[in-house]
Amino acid sequence: MKYRAFTLRLLLLAATSLLTDCSTQAAKTAVKPTAKAKSMAASSKGKATDKMLAVKDDELDEYATAPDISDPLEKLNRGTFWVNDQLYTFIFRPISKGYQLILPRPVRKGIDNAFENVKYPVRVVNCTLQGKFKRAGQETGKFVVNTVGGVGGIFRPAQRIPALANLPEEDTAQTFGKWGIPNGPYLVLPFLGPSSVRDGVGLVGDYVLNPVNWPYFRWHGSRTNHDWVIVPPLANTLRSTPAQMELYDTITKDAVDTYLSARSAYSQNRAEAIKK
Amino acid sequence: MTLRFLLPLLLAAAPLAASAQLAEAQTRLKSAVTEVLTVADRAGSRSSLPEKLRPVLNKYVSFETMTKRAVGPGWRQFTPAQQQQATQLFSTLIIRSYSGKFTPGEHPAITYQTAVSPAAGRVDVPTSMVYLGSQYSVTYRMEQMRITDVVIEGVSLIANYRSQLDAQFKKGGANGVISSLTQSVSRAQ
Repeated sequence: MKYRAFTLRLLLLAATSLLTDCSTQAAKTAVKPTAKAKSMAASSKGKATDKMLAVKDDELDEYATAPDISDPLEKLNRGTFWVNDQLYTFIFRPISKGYQLILPRPVRKGIDNAFENVKYPVRVVNCTLQGKFKRAGQETGKFVVNTVGGVGGIFRPAQRIPALANLPEEDTAQTFGKWGIPNGPYLVLPFLGPSSVRDGVGLVGDYVLNPVNWPYFRWHGSRTNHDWVIVPPLANTLRSTPAQMELYDTITKDAVDTYLSARSAYSQNRAEAIKK
Repeated sequence: MTLRFLLPLLLAAAPLAASAQLAEAQTRLKSAVTEVLTVADRAGSRSSLPEKLRPVLNKYVSFETMTKRAVGPGWRQFTPAQQQQATQLFSTLIIRSYSGKFTPGEHPAITYQTAVSPAAGRVDVPTSMVYLGSQYSVTYRMEQMRITDVVIEGVSLIANYRSQLDAQFKKGGANGVISSLTQSVSRAQ
């Protein structure tokens, strides 16, 4: 029983911050055309002239080079995607609705701001690893201004300072991308959704760098009772769930094929994030 | 001799014309946003919004170009009737999706950035939008002063649908695309 409780706790803990860190990525890669796209282009070469014209036609072919990602595990991924869909529908969406019902939007916004502010180490370390020293300085400035002037990050006064406003998100997977590490195969992770081998490894980095998980690392396995360590990561997951569900709905609601829509949105978004 | 005098004038006129086109595209986009928000504010209910927005969007958005590009090279194998049907279904899907983003009484704060022309005849208008406390980077792609794609946080609407409709076309041809669009449109909201 104790083992089961521990397992559940570990599972929830794993899902929490990873879900949060993944949240910004979920909608968000190899820029290279996929093998499929290449083979399509190759096959069109051998076909009749009108088909060649069709491929060359700017009007129609502009999107053939849109960033995509190789998906050799599509069958498995589609299965995980379906399981996630059920989880979102029957567990996470009701939780999200309840959270939104209990807390008014300004309060939720303040909580979101505070948790995003705390993620400063994720951003500053990755800015530094990518050689973006000026951005790392701006991140530090933003953190100081929001923490001191924004009551621990609940408010975002830095948004009123042009040099500190609207800094792009940074995470470990983006650093890997910047270093030239390719995506590897597309992966749909249980709970967390769209990812890739590279980005999945990146999530571990984000997890370690996010201070909401530090108490757990410090006191995990301690003989004294430190059950509270699960609260910050759980709260982090809870507060990010409405945004996650909204994002998921935006991507899938009017899709023709929800799986392909999520994959395309993920690969395009990540490719763009790495460029910034 | 005349050409020698005219050439500098012509060379100077080209960038001026291009910059006028960029400014015009931005003005046109601003008009579209204003009109859409006015209609959205006047709409009695959220369910009536798609039909009320349709005339305004038809004026500013080229749904035919959008559909053609979302389908991809397979579009050439559609009959004119199938093209018309696909455009009608795709526009319904896009308008419904777009209308669903509105929260009555809430207006986005939009900052228009400098428009660029990535190719002849095309203008991209990047914007930064704050809506319901969240910030988004949105780029409107325009041709002949009509919107042909919207790129939100790097995700192109048309590239996203291309990945789906192209797969449908490979599986079932034009009828497969139309059938999948029909299913999506008829899906309960």
